[in-house]
Amino acid sequence: MTDDWRNRSLKDLYRLTGQIFSQLPALARLWGGAYRALSFDTVPFTPMRKPLTEARFALVTTGGVHRRDQPPFDMVDPRGDPTYRRIPADTPVADLTITHDYYDHTDAERDLNILFPLALMRSLAQHGIIGGVADCYSFMGHIEPPHLETLLRQTAPAVASFLKQEQVDAVLLTPA
Amino acid sequence: MGLIARIIEDAGISTICIVSLKPIAEQVRPPRTLHLAWPFGHPLGEPGNRAQQMTVLYAALHSLYFAEPGEILEPGWRWRRETYTIPAGWEV
Repeated sequence: MTDDWRNRSLKDLYRLTGQIFSQLPALARLWGGAYRALSFDTVPFTPMRKPLTEARFALVTTGGVHRRDQPPFDMVDPRGDPTYRRIPADTPVADLTITHDYYDHTDAERDLNILFPLALMRSLAQHGIIGGVADCYSFMGHIEPPHLETLLRQTAPAVASFLKQEQVDAVLLTPA
Repeated sequence: MGLIARIIEDAGISTICIVSLKPIAEQVRPPRTLHLAWPFGHPLGEPGNRAQQMTVLYAALHSLYFAEPGEILEPGWRWRRETYTIPAGWEV
């Protein structure tokens, strides 16, 4: 009972702050300044080996995008959902939707290119400006322990290995 | 998101992250970051503004070739009151 109440209150809080931060970026920056993320001294780095015109791209978002026929992200657990959805490169934009209660995605639903620019990337590929577009992946941001462990040890490495198998050269990541 | 970028980069794939919160990128240190202090849910800008979206995409994709490891690039574009044109050669 207590946990239920705690979970429900947390979700309400995240939903409210997410909506406020969507409207007031200055407040979001204050929150970001106080937020303790995992921190690192070193940076992994893979230089680009191909020119844009030959490079095969994928998108990865944490904005909760998924195909309408895929199960939505879990918004019941306040600690988040560390699973991912594969979004095939040729998915019609009309087949995509967003499940993520902690930010205002009204604008992104009107024009998904502002969050998940799959249509723009396909146009660039069709015009030979980039080499190609591979299958893309979507997560729901806002992942806390113990799910953070699952993301870092299982789901994100699984996505990385799919991208590798699919011979992706570069990935553009976009947040909620 | 930066954590996912680090894991993908570790697997041998170049990554570029667009972020709206610089302090988090400073802690997580994604391989390459394009920081735009814009509202959540709008990493490439406003709906219907193709020139703005293409400008951001152009900056992100080209930064893959010149950003230093861990660099946070800051073009400084304001959320509104900015005039964008589609980058040359990107009129698709």
